[in-house]
Amino acid sequence: MSYTYLITGATSDVGRTLIERMLRNAPDALVLAQGCGDLDKLAALCQRFPGQIRPFDVDLSDRAKVDTFMQLLDTSAPAPTHFIHLPALPVVNTKFKGFDQTRFDKDLEIEVHSAIRICRGILPAMTRAKFGRVLFIQTSYTIGCPPKNTAAYVMAKSAIGGLVKSLAVEYAKFGITVNCVAPSMMETNFLKDTPDLIVQASAADNPMGRNATPEDVVPAMAFLLSDEAGFITGVTLPVTGGSAIV
Amino acid sequence: MTEQDILTAVQDIFRDNFDDDTLVITRETCADDIEDWDSLEQINLLTAIEKKFNIKFKLADVRGLKNVGDLLDLVARMV
Repeated sequence: MSYTYLITGATSDVGRTLIERMLRNAPDALVLAQGCGDLDKLAALCQRFPGQIRPFDVDLSDRAKVDTFMQLLDTSAPAPTHFIHLPALPVVNTKFKGFDQTRFDKDLEIEVHSAIRICRGILPAMTRAKFGRVLFIQTSYTIGCPPKNTAAYVMAKSAIGGLVKSLAVEYAKFGITVNCVAPSMMETNFLKDTPDLIVQASAADNPMGRNATPEDVVPAMAFLLSDEAGFITGVTLPVTGGSAIV
Repeated sequence: MTEQDILTAVQDIFRDNFDDDTLVITRETCADDIEDWDSLEQINLLTAIEKKFNIKFKLADVRGLKNVGDLLDLVARMV
């Protein structure tokens, strides 16, 4: 069976590392890669894996565009066997009263509402095939006490956690697993709006003495996406170096 | 830049950060004196100070700060 990976937020550091990992030894696999205005970041991977990556430029904050994207996939691409949902707005360190409603709405649109619409689109085919892997990226901020000043981010990520558990139990009997990884602070472009001192303090306070990297997180993702992880569903797997433990 | 200039600028940053226009800080002011001054707020203060004075703190430099006086001395050495 050749696999088709639908990866949203594929242009992120984690997305690109994951694509490389999934295609490295899979010449018959296909990646449907969503980005938003930054598909050039996939150029090197497209050259390395010719014909195996199909980039799509889609604004996930626009429900109509998400629906159009799903219609396009339905008519022009193989049904995804794997769906990995990575998009998120960069975290801003802002007190609750400093957030405007727009920011909360946008976090929910990009992370949660898009996930619901895409899952509605892809789960019927996975159900028929009696096989599927759905994976989300959460955050260690949803484990235990979250840091202050991250309300919009933690709210959206927590909603993802609820969606994962609900879908997991509903689709388990169809051979579909739905899981999350929950990394601690990861040193990627995602932190561009986070003060250096917060990044340094997070590294210093981590039991491993450093922050996570995509190379730490992607192997955990690859495991949850693998055939052999078929009996693991509804879990949030912390990848934290010990900084957050369930 | 005099120590008083630095204190005045830092006080404005404290007032803005803690939303208290009447807040008065001295060299002896420490985290115990301001209810909301925790480790995260300290980083917010330091980040705002970095921006104001166009300086860059290292974590090791700021972890041992005991009060506003230590902070002012650190800034004075860097500007």
